[in-house]
Amino acid sequence: MPTVSVKWQKELYRDVEIDTTQPPYVFKCQLFDLTGVPPERQKIVTKGGLLKDDSDWSKMGVKEGQRLMMMGTADEIVNAPEKSPVFMEDLPEEEQVVAVGHSAGLFNLGNTCYMNSTVQCLHSVPELKSALIEYPQSGRSNELDQSSHLLTVATRDLFSELDKNAKPVAPMQFWMVLRKKYPQFGQLHNGSFMQQDAEECWTQILYTLSQALRRPSSSENLDTVKGIFGIDLISRVHCAESGEESSETESVYSLKCHISHEVNHLHEGLKHGLKSELEKVSPALGRSATYLKESHINGLPRYLTIQFVRFFWKRESNQKAKILRKVDYPLELDIFDLCSEDLRKQLEAPRQMLRDEEGRKAGLKLKEKTPTSVDNDVKMSEAEGSSEKKMCLTGVYDLVAVLTHKGRSADSGHYVAWVKQENGKWIEFDDDNPIPQREEDITKLSGGGDWHMAYICMYKARTISM
Amino acid sequence: MEPEPNNNASGSGNPKEEATLKVPSKDPKKKDDKKDEDLSEEDLALKQQLELYVERVQDADQGLQKVALESMRQEIRTSTSSMTSVPKPLKFLRPHYGTLKSFYETMPDSDLKKLLADILSVLALTMSAEGDRESLKYRLLGSEGDIGSWGHEYVRNLAGEIAQEYAKRVNEEATVDDLIELVEQIVAFHMKHNAEPEAVDLLMEVEFLDLLVKHVDKANYKRTCLYLTSSARYLPGPDDMSVLDIAYTIYTKFEEFPSALQIALYLDNMQHVKQVFTSCPDLLRKKQFCYILARQGISFELDEEMCADDDDREALQEIINNTKLSEGYLTLARDIEVMEPKSPEDIYKAHLLDGRASAGASVDSARQNLAATFVNAFVNAGFGQDKLMTVPSEAASGGSSGNWLFKNKEHGKASAAASLGMILLWDVDAGLAQIDKYFHSNDNHVIAGALLGVGVVNCGIKNDCDPALALLADYLDKEDSSIRIGAITGLGLAYAGTQNEQIRDKLSPILGDPKAPLDVIAFTAIALGLVYVGSCNEDVAQAIIFALMDRSEADLGEPLTRLLPLGLGLLYLGKQDSVEATAEVSKTFNEKIRKYCDMTLLSCAYAGTGNVLKVQHFLGQCAQHLEKGSETFQGPAVLGIAMVAMAEELGLDMAIRSLEHLLQYGEQNIRKAVPLALGLLCISNPKVHVMDTLSRLSHDADTEVAMAAVISLGLIGAGTNNARIAGMLRNLSSYYYKEASLLFCVRIAQGFVHMGKGLLTLAPYHSERFLLSPTALAGLVVLLHACLDMKAIILGKYHYVLYFVVLAMQPRMLLTVDENLKPLSVPVRVGQAVDVVGQAGRPKTITGFQTHSTPVLLAAGDRAELATEKYIPLSPILEGFVILKENPDYREEA
Repeated sequence: MPTVSVKWQKELYRDVEIDTTQPPYVFKCQLFDLTGVPPERQKIVTKGGLLKDDSDWSKMGVKEGQRLMMMGTADEIVNAPEKSPVFMEDLPEEEQVVAVGHSAGLFNLGNTCYMNSTVQCLHSVPELKSALIEYPQSGRSNELDQSSHLLTVATRDLFSELDKNAKPVAPMQFWMVLRKKYPQFGQLHNGSFMQQDAEECWTQILYTLSQALRRPSSSENLDTVKGIFGIDLISRVHCAESGEESSETESVYSLKCHISHEVNHLHEGLKHGLKSELEKVSPALGRSATYLKESHINGLPRYLTIQFVRFFWKRESNQKAKILRKVDYPLELDIFDLCSEDLRKQLEAPRQMLRDEEGRKAGLKLKEKTPTSVDNDVKMSEAEGSSEKKMCLTGVYDLVAVLTHKGRSADSGHYVAWVKQENGKWIEFDDDNPIPQREEDITKLSGGGDWHMAYICMYKARTISM
Repeated sequence: MEPEPNNNASGSGNPKEEATLKVPSKDPKKKDDKKDEDLSEEDLALKQQLELYVERVQDADQGLQKVALESMRQEIRTSTSSMTSVPKPLKFLRPHYGTLKSFYETMPDSDLKKLLADILSVLALTMSAEGDRESLKYRLLGSEGDIGSWGHEYVRNLAGEIAQEYAKRVNEEATVDDLIELVEQIVAFHMKHNAEPEAVDLLMEVEFLDLLVKHVDKANYKRTCLYLTSSARYLPGPDDMSVLDIAYTIYTKFEEFPSALQIALYLDNMQHVKQVFTSCPDLLRKKQFCYILARQGISFELDEEMCADDDDREALQEIINNTKLSEGYLTLARDIEVMEPKSPEDIYKAHLLDGRASAGASVDSARQNLAATFVNAFVNAGFGQDKLMTVPSEAASGGSSGNWLFKNKEHGKASAAASLGMILLWDVDAGLAQIDKYFHSNDNHVIAGALLGVGVVNCGIKNDCDPALALLADYLDKEDSSIRIGAITGLGLAYAGTQNEQIRDKLSPILGDPKAPLDVIAFTAIALGLVYVGSCNEDVAQAIIFALMDRSEADLGEPLTRLLPLGLGLLYLGKQDSVEATAEVSKTFNEKIRKYCDMTLLSCAYAGTGNVLKVQHFLGQCAQHLEKGSETFQGPAVLGIAMVAMAEELGLDMAIRSLEHLLQYGEQNIRKAVPLALGLLCISNPKVHVMDTLSRLSHDADTEVAMAAVISLGLIGAGTNNARIAGMLRNLSSYYYKEASLLFCVRIAQGFVHMGKGLLTLAPYHSERFLLSPTALAGLVVLLHACLDMKAIILGKYHYVLYFVVLAMQPRMLLTVDENLKPLSVPVRVGQAVDVVGQAGRPKTITGFQTHSTPVLLAAGDRAELATEKYIPLSPILEGFVILKENPDYREEA
């Protein structure tokens, strides 16, 4: 009976006896005692190859003191998990969108970048999307004309196309319907469509949608678009000469940021825009007099749209000229001081809560240093709030979309939309090409050069549950 | 002749005289006259004296003649001169050269005549017309006295004339015995006077190098051999071999065995290797030889003649078998403190990319996970631990390694399982234990990966029990072709360069199997090519040739078919002319593959030879503008330029320039191969201008060019952690974030750059760029050929060809060990190597050095030297494992 040494991994078992009269299986059982590796998983390598359970010792020619090598482990055999992972490559195209993290781009159909960028900005408003989904395909109310209806349907379809695809979409249908409804967009110049003002496009689309999305069923005939974008203004019209004073209210879809030599910042421009002089016939004086109109915000929108009044009609050159002045805008905008007294009072409580909330966040971070748990807390409270409590506006707004223009006049140049995605990443939608961008770079679109500069900014209200 | 400033220095210091002398004159006669007048008294006296001698020589009285000749000789010999001026006696004798010559003819034969011949021989040094070789003529007629007595310049001139005369006589088939006699004198003189290069040059001219052995001594043999070995690179045909043979003989004569062994390895002469072992009695030195053999990566069996004692022999064989490589590598890693495993994210460093990185990673991408698998494997190669595959199994049931494995799709699982082999590289015991569990998987891809992993673990390591063969052989004839490929490739990697006959017997039949699918056959050819790399084995060559001939027309168009000629080429790697017979056969192949085969064979056969003619041949092939479909052979031709030219630095730089031209004028199929060729030329050696070229190409409009450039960026930075390349790749990863294929390439390149956390190199050259490891080169060539068609191979389902790179992976370290082979830390200076060929004295061999203590990392072009006298290294080249012996003469400084 020869004795051999067996090497297993880094260990060496000396003096293992082999009973050559027994089959190798017995020897394997001996090794099982030593190593704990079940015989069927043992692989014993001799000079001649692997030792089989039925091989004959005499033919193996095992010599006294020979060193054998044993392989095999008692490790658990790895089996495929029951649920195999899903790979992006296997997903249908719609689901790849989620993976990509942003929606699709839009093909330029010939100077339609103004339309593309407008659509991309509006597309980032989930409330508008959900309102459109509810819009019935056929049931148009009587007061709505056919072309408006078609435009609304086209918008709805285009939005869902954008959500479904990872690859760029060609907005053919939408473009056709838009031209039908607003023939000015179909103007031709040298046989091709002309570049148009994005702001005009924006306004027209919103107007059409506001017409179409009135809910005839509800008692108040609530205007959905107004609910989302509408800003209530209360204005005091004052005539310095006669001392007359009147007040009027109006509802607009966007605030104007007037750009003059003193304006360096969005806030100043807005203030400027809310004050205006107008000339009208004064009943007291019996002639036209200069009235000063001072407006205040009386009702906050969920999405605050701000237009930079960068274009003006230059009479000398008979064209729309552009003001290139740099006007900074913040990522977080507080319009508390533009509000009316009444609204300010209403806002005080929610704002206090917001401050507390932020303070708590900062405080917690200091104490626990576990930002993840803090985030969870916030999400939790948000989730609760939406189900049980009422969401209150605070007058604080976060930038969610910027429509920029590059070039020297409104009818030329290039429009691009910069939209914040749900995951917090910014995407520059340059027609069919979505490009990820850094948040810092978004505020650099403030003008003062030949780079893209903000033309329309859209801010989303920061709410707090009460 | 220009008037010499020296003249004035020795003459009187009259400024006016100087001024006139400096005026250059076109009329020599006028100048001579003028000079005559301007000579100082001393010179004038000398001149008159010499003129007198000349007259006396022609005197009838023999006694007077003799006195005159002897004094003339005396004058010539004693005159000193500077490098730039002709000695005065020679100058004054110039006008009389003709007179003396004609007088010589009239003289009867006598000692005096010989004396005159001697003098004429010296005078001819300055007088004889170009090509007349009169100096030599009169030397042969002369008294054959001590050649050195006439000065160094005379000897050099004579050597030059001998070379010319020799060539002439050989042409005329005349006898050269008298010349050889003279050569012997000259060589003896040169060797005594630190002019080894001149001696070697002369002997090479007269093809009589054997003479050198007699004249070298302890003081000059090192310089002589250094000159011999470095000049061998620029010699044609068989000359280089004979030159190296002489160097080998000299080294063995002076018992400089490690250097002799290196030359033996360069010549691939196992007889010489054996002789080194038998002629060295010292066991410790033999151990050092074994380390050198292990680095070269060739298999070598010691027998009793080489080492009588059984235990000693076993110990030596163990070193050759590389069993301790893993241990040494881990010692280095611990010393540098890089044991902590790294995850692919640590390499990608996406946080430095600000917002540009892909936004939503909510869903696993199979391709990106596969890239992560490779990056993880390369970065943690050889460390035995990582964050994906080897996580302790108690972490979760089945271990999270299982989880990562199954985050790969289908064939991706094969690469994932095989990555375990890479992580446990060289550690056979632990590696096999870890891989074992995957053999019992029910997924064929996982089994295939496990088989491949076994091959990877065993790469370069030999084990007495041959576990790889025992494990893999059973799977060779399985149904599933992925399992078969796994086993075949595993064998190829594990036994590369061993010429193991068992493997041949198992693999050759597969080539002839008509039922075997194409991919199985292709990988079998590669595996056989690796096992028999550079062996010129007829049987294997036959088998591959038949397999190629059996391919159908359709098969020949497949990218994988191109691996068959490559397998054939590997058999002749670096074997030059031996390929001719096979190349002849390849001319009979189907024309679809004929040219491709021809290029591949040629490039392999002349790989690492620096043969300029072959480089030109390849360049010629690339200059053709051909139609699509018939130009596939140009890819291997471009690679061939790099393979041939990579031998030495000069040729390498020239090749880089030629490749730039190809980039500008070549078609797309050439342009996509150029980055790969650049990658091979500068492998693990990130030269800045190559880096810039590749960076430019990585943004090329053509995707294939860009992919090749990206991979090559990884190759040139492989194992260097080069920050600039890492930055470039990071930016590329955001630039290509949308293009999955390119992003995959970028990831792989990132894995390469951080290979082994910067402790590894892929360079096939080692031992101060003298030796070329055939297996390492073979591995790289296979990878590059696979990269010629990225889409079909690496981006397809054969991505595991990336593991062929393991053949070239070596730690770029210097690890000093003591006499018991335990690591020993000593101070060393590491700096840029300086070329000291042909320099006299003991020049500095490194520059800009820093002092470290071993183990240390060596970058490309670095050289190390011991910074202490306490130990003596047993190898002159400090790379890899070096045994240190205590210096018996060392005295601790007080």
